[in-house]
Amino acid sequence: MSDFAIEAEGLGKCYRVYGNPMSRIAEAATFGAYTGHREFWALRGVNFGLKPGGSLGLCGANGAGKSTLLKILAGTTTPTEGRFRVAGRVSSLLELGAGFHPDFTGRDNILMNGIMMGYSKREMEARTDEIIEFAELGEYIDEPVRVYSSGMGLRLGFSVAMAVEPDVMIIDEVFAVGDMYFQKKCVDKVYELKKNNKTVLFCSHSLYDVRQLCDEALWIQDGAPAKIGDSVDVTNSYSSYQRTHIAEVKSEGEAIKQEEAKPDYVPDQALPRVVDARIYRAGSDEEIYQVGTGESFEVRIWWANPQPDETPIQLGIGFFRPDTTTVAGVGSHIDGFKVEGEKGCTRVTIENISFLSDQFLVAVILFGGEGTHQYQQYLMRENLVVTHKTHDVGMFKLERHWDDLGDLELPDDKSAIREGTVAGASGGESGDNAGWIE
Amino acid sequence: MTPRPDPLHESATLGDASAILDSGSHQVEGWVTASPPKLVEVLQHVFVFPKLLVRHRDLITTSVRRELAARFSGTLLGWAWPLVTPLLMFAIYYFIFTNLLGVKFGDLPEEQRSAMGVFMFVGILVWSAFGESVVRCTGVIVDNGNLIKKVAFPTEVLPLNQCLVAMVTMAFGIVAFVAVTWITPIFGLHIWVAPDTVRLTWAFLLIPLQVMFTYGIGLLLGTLQVYLRDTLQVVTVGITVWMFATPIFWTPELLLKEDGVTRGLAPEWEWVIDVNPMYHLVYSWRDVLMSREPEMVFHQPMQDSMIVFSYWAVASFVIGYTFFLLARRRFADEV
Repeated sequence: MSDFAIEAEGLGKCYRVYGNPMSRIAEAATFGAYTGHREFWALRGVNFGLKPGGSLGLCGANGAGKSTLLKILAGTTTPTEGRFRVAGRVSSLLELGAGFHPDFTGRDNILMNGIMMGYSKREMEARTDEIIEFAELGEYIDEPVRVYSSGMGLRLGFSVAMAVEPDVMIIDEVFAVGDMYFQKKCVDKVYELKKNNKTVLFCSHSLYDVRQLCDEALWIQDGAPAKIGDSVDVTNSYSSYQRTHIAEVKSEGEAIKQEEAKPDYVPDQALPRVVDARIYRAGSDEEIYQVGTGESFEVRIWWANPQPDETPIQLGIGFFRPDTTTVAGVGSHIDGFKVEGEKGCTRVTIENISFLSDQFLVAVILFGGEGTHQYQQYLMRENLVVTHKTHDVGMFKLERHWDDLGDLELPDDKSAIREGTVAGASGGESGDNAGWIE
Repeated sequence: MTPRPDPLHESATLGDASAILDSGSHQVEGWVTASPPKLVEVLQHVFVFPKLLVRHRDLITTSVRRELAARFSGTLLGWAWPLVTPLLMFAIYYFIFTNLLGVKFGDLPEEQRSAMGVFMFVGILVWSAFGESVVRCTGVIVDNGNLIKKVAFPTEVLPLNQCLVAMVTMAFGIVAFVAVTWITPIFGLHIWVAPDTVRLTWAFLLIPLQVMFTYGIGLLLGTLQVYLRDTLQVVTVGITVWMFATPIFWTPELLLKEDGVTRGLAPEWEWVIDVNPMYHLVYSWRDVLMSREPEMVFHQPMQDSMIVFSYWAVASFVIGYTFFLLARRRFADEV
């Protein structure tokens, strides 16, 4: 066997579109001598190899062929050309709650869904409690699924698909599930899969998710792979293409031309854009992406804004943890700094950074004049790595002093004495990043 | 990006026929390829069908149980429905045929008065299981289109479930019939002579044969329905025609009294009986359940009917399943 978890060679899928039922009969009757259908290639020429533990994100516009590719790899449809192979057990999540029967309880549906995905009854029974716990349906688990809210149904679907232990997990655009809290749980779960050396193939319109969850990405444009490689490069090319494409359609009112679909498309010159952004050691020209806690650094943003009068801009920088938590965000509109002119370089100096060891994704955000509309989210090519040498724990280094107050007397106010302890250090992550992520 | 593997390293030998993916993809040495499966591989797959049954036994048992529960639990009469339906059907047809049309066996002794009723009841029981399965199987693949598109599972269990559910429902009727023939004599009532226990064991051969026959037809029609949506309309009418062409409410020795003259089936119509596998199935069941009474109905040994029917069952299954396997790879694109 090869050492790939998923390999695809020249995969393509062609759908036959029949005008009416008669053309199908005519075709069958003449054994294909008469062609009664139109061919539609949803996907063509996809090649990739993904090692165990790897993760590949798919991005592209609606109808680009992402779902078709996932369907082929999940085995619900067959390729028209090319071939592929998948090593190990595959679990696919093409649609949440597909196969749920509304008249049966959540518990019954867990069992049936799992069995349908190819797991034995015993395996599923052993996992039922875990699934129920993850879905957080409480007493509803013994109610028929038809009384569930749509969010509850989706949660149950996700929990079933994730509870089984696949070697390869195929996920189609299902993270828009439930509330922020559950979304984060889902993302964490996918992380856990990655950590356990499982292979993840995943499709999303959220480039942030693709960048964060996947090492590699594949951008599909009109059924053909436009770019494949490092997820940061691919998502950046795709988002710059996307931005221009929107401008193009707006200004000319016509669809993008074929050659313009090529990767690394140069952004439209009329709109404000971030040209580049880099991190330097404070006060020097040394480019760095690793800093120690308490050190200072500066972010230099090169931007262009051909029509500053019509499109005033503001700049922002966001720092994100790999699990999508927004750790910090600053903006010129918040601080009252003006970004003026047709082009320029703006420096943001961050002093005595208080983050503790972790990797942070840094995104430069180009806002409209009001600071609400986002023109562009520019993901930096490298993550910022923060290290610290002290024994502090948590996310931040706190400024503190310790003092000996001797035999200071306890105040009379008895209510100052609290019973029990503070409820641990959990619940520290708010997951509140709505303002920063798409 | 990781380098592509050398495409020449794979050998040309065929994989195990049973490894044709459940979705209908064609596998060669672990590769799922675009080429359609070869007929010989499909036939191999047909003959290792028992393997599939074993591999997916949990799926089959759970979904059959679920289907039964969906149909009967939650209704007022619940599990009485599998009995009530054929009894109602029987009451209606019995009234029409014996009272209105005057169909009856000749002058029978006192203890065989109910012969026509039992004769019809068994026929209706068997036919409802068959007819219902065929109609449901025809629609089942298209109806589960979304499931087929989104979940990779062996599609052939969908029609199989329908056949098994109908068989379970029919088994209810048979058990009830046998129980009545056993219990009523205790209370001095005599509805029909209790079936001979040894003869009754033939049911264990008849049941799988009936499922096989029904399943084959169901696979064929269900597949056809995917490509041609008119199939279901035709099947609905066709199954009714077939029902009346099968001796359920009449016998080939039909005793329709007209001016006191008994007439049998006209010779030019005898072929209708000969080519009808359901005739052999229904008669086999009557043979098992009616203790070969009245004698005039059973003019050939049960084994003859069963042998003929088993040919039909095997042919139906092989043809239906082969057709299904050849066509399946495009289900997800068509439903």
